[in-house]
Amino acid sequence: MSETALLQNYLLVGSILFGLGLTGFLIRRNLIVMFLCAEMMLQGVSLSLIAWGRYHNDWSGQMLVIFIITVAACEAGIALALVLALCRKSGSLDIVNWQNVREEGRMPYIDQEVPAEAVESEVWPTLTPAGIEPATDQQELYRSNV
Amino acid sequence: MSDNLIILIPFFPLLAAILIAILGPKLLKENSHYVTVLAFAASFFCSLMLFFSVQGQVVEEGTSFESVTTLWTWAAVDNAMIDADGHSVPFLIDVTLRSDALTSIMLCMVTFIATLVAIFGAGYMHGDRGYWRFFAYVSLFVFSMTMLVSVSNFLLLFVFWEAVGLCSYLLIGFWYHKPEASAAGKKAFLVNRVGDFGFALAIFLIWINYGTLNFHDYVVDGQVIIPGVFGQMRLGGALPYVQGGMATAICLLLMLGACGKSAQFPLHVWLPDAMEGPTPVSALIHAATMVTAGVYMVTRCTPLFHASPDAQVTVACIGGFTALLAGLIALTQHDLKRVLAYSTVSQLGYMFLALGTGSLAGIVAGMFHLFTHAFFKALLFLGSGSVMHAMGNVIDMRRFGGLRHLMPWTFRTFLVGCLALAGIFPFAGFWSKDAILASVHDRAYPGAHAHDSGHDADHDADEHATHSVALLSADHAGSNQPNAYTNIYVWLYRSACFTAFLTAFYTFRAFFLTFYGPQVIPDEAGHHAHESPPMMWIPLAILAVFAFLIGFVSELDHKFAHLLTSTPSLAFAGMQDTMQPGGFHMDIAISSTIIAVLGIALAAFLYLGHQREVEAISKLKLVAPLRALSLNKFYLDEIYTWAIVKPLEYLGIIYFWLDRWLVDGLVNLVGKLPVVLGSGLRNLQTGLLPFYSLSMVVAMVILLFLGQVLWGGG
Repeated sequence: MSETALLQNYLLVGSILFGLGLTGFLIRRNLIVMFLCAEMMLQGVSLSLIAWGRYHNDWSGQMLVIFIITVAACEAGIALALVLALCRKSGSLDIVNWQNVREEGRMPYIDQEVPAEAVESEVWPTLTPAGIEPATDQQELYRSNV
Repeated sequence: MSDNLIILIPFFPLLAAILIAILGPKLLKENSHYVTVLAFAASFFCSLMLFFSVQGQVVEEGTSFESVTTLWTWAAVDNAMIDADGHSVPFLIDVTLRSDALTSIMLCMVTFIATLVAIFGAGYMHGDRGYWRFFAYVSLFVFSMTMLVSVSNFLLLFVFWEAVGLCSYLLIGFWYHKPEASAAGKKAFLVNRVGDFGFALAIFLIWINYGTLNFHDYVVDGQVIIPGVFGQMRLGGALPYVQGGMATAICLLLMLGACGKSAQFPLHVWLPDAMEGPTPVSALIHAATMVTAGVYMVTRCTPLFHASPDAQVTVACIGGFTALLAGLIALTQHDLKRVLAYSTVSQLGYMFLALGTGSLAGIVAGMFHLFTHAFFKALLFLGSGSVMHAMGNVIDMRRFGGLRHLMPWTFRTFLVGCLALAGIFPFAGFWSKDAILASVHDRAYPGAHAHDSGHDADHDADEHATHSVALLSADHAGSNQPNAYTNIYVWLYRSACFTAFLTAFYTFRAFFLTFYGPQVIPDEAGHHAHESPPMMWIPLAILAVFAFLIGFVSELDHKFAHLLTSTPSLAFAGMQDTMQPGGFHMDIAISSTIIAVLGIALAAFLYLGHQREVEAISKLKLVAPLRALSLNKFYLDEIYTWAIVKPLEYLGIIYFWLDRWLVDGLVNLVGKLPVVLGSGLRNLQTGLLPFYSLSMVVAMVILLFLGQVLWGGG
């Protein structure tokens, strides 16, 4: 397989990843899904970078990807922490709940009501307890069971 | 020696002012007056020594004696101006003190009165909250005043001219919590600004025309580098004085400055209101010293005025008119201090009238009146202060009366002051007032006394007078208008005689109302209603002795005139052609005494005993409106309010709104622009994350597309 054809294949896959991620980021309202979509866009870009690096036969593409992965890891930590905090505040992962951070006096965007989630899916996964058990906080307990 | 003395004289009061300002609030407090009185006394002592040293040197070195002491150079600019001949002129301001006859006389008078006023003030201000503040201000004032009369430079004269104005402002508004006092302070300050504006313009013109502001010649190694305005070179006739319209302009602007400081019409309105200040201040600043600064300045600038007969006649007219106007107003005032204030304005008018005759006799008479007036007017003001002290700060003559038994010392000294002011032989005012009337008379009727000079007191003066009249007529024969303005001086002489009558009348009206009639004491007096303590009446007694003697003593051998005419400004060639001082005209003396006695007699007739006649007269249809006119000060304050203050206020309002809406509006418009632009973009803040990301994507697509189209990719 010629070098060009190989490059084309990689770029195709990369752009599909990027396009899927972008579309998902634009149309989904779930914070975690949006975050995952953003990650997917990053992966698409990374893939094209590697492809180009190989095509040009130098390491700079790969080097950049290492950077991207590192930064993405940090970003993931922060982003998940933020998502968790936001979720605790509003009790939901829906991004539209945060649209009150808007210009004063502007009417809110009203979408169709999100269908109520099934009862069983309201039970959130709990991790297996590990290490020393922290002091039990009734409030905390209640919230994790919402 | 005189070098050290002239420095020490202003130094002591300055030291006192600084000491009291620093230590007064915490340490000195009620003892502040010791510092001030000691400093003033030391200053007076130095002034006396300087006076005798100058007197000795005048005898030794002849007339036109001056000695200058340069302390340091205040400003020096090379090539400040190119004069008419193409030479570059440096701008050089040295801090230079001069001692000559005029300065030494002024210094003695100022420090002497200041010492007595400070002693009086210690009694008068006793228990006041601002005790130390009062003495700090007064010390600062005396420093400024002594500097004012001893500096040898127009710019420094202006600086201390302002400094005394500042002290006057501070002391008028001394009781600043009283609205009238702070308003009076502001009024004095603002009215003086008008005069100072003229003075400043005059200084500019002097600089342009003479290329220097120094009075004295600037000498290096015996060579005159810059000839001063009143330097020996210019006075000796080696350099000309500017003539014609420019001379008139300079003099009239100087006169405007003098009008402001010396309370002459039309700027006299501040002085009566200045009586809101503590009475010792009224005596020192607003009667004896600061208000005479204008007279001093015009005397100092005699050579400039000599170049412009038009300006001289203006000075005489302003002086004569002010004397008459203030005399008429003083007739009906109820406030004792206001009567005295208008009398001060009137007497200052007299001085200017004398200066305006332009003859040496007139100028000496004006300065002589300044000198004697300082003593008896300070005496009268301190006397009224003593009355005010006893009457619990009531000064309305309708509310007290018959105080002669209650306050014997104040009564006696006040009587001396009144006699001196009215001009009764042999009190001080008689001599000086007679000198003024004589000089105006000589100017009005040139040659009249050449024939009846047999009346003259001594033969020296006789010869002088004859000689000078001959020169005077020769001088006039050469000029275009022989006996220019004689008619005006005739009227001024008549008005001055009438003013002398008014003076005697209003002085004794106030005297009779205060000290005669049934004893009336206002409720405010309380337990104060008794003679003032010795600390207050002893200065009065000393001043009374001087008010009695000073005219007579100065007139002996024409000592005062001889000394004063040795001042460089007066001893120059041009002045020698005019009427010489020293002529004592018996006819004028007799007529003016008769006029004064008539005034006193009328006052006694009207105000002694029952005042039936006054009531009857003031109800006459003819008199009532005139009385209202006088009582309301010829409505000058109202006229100024409507003609000047109100229009300025409206103009101020217009400018305020222009500033508010036009200038501020333009600035605000610039500030509003981002807000207006932002208000459109602000609506994009939907708070919806998908919307933001979509707009990012769309924008990026657009940018990429544009990049592709415009720059062909890359």
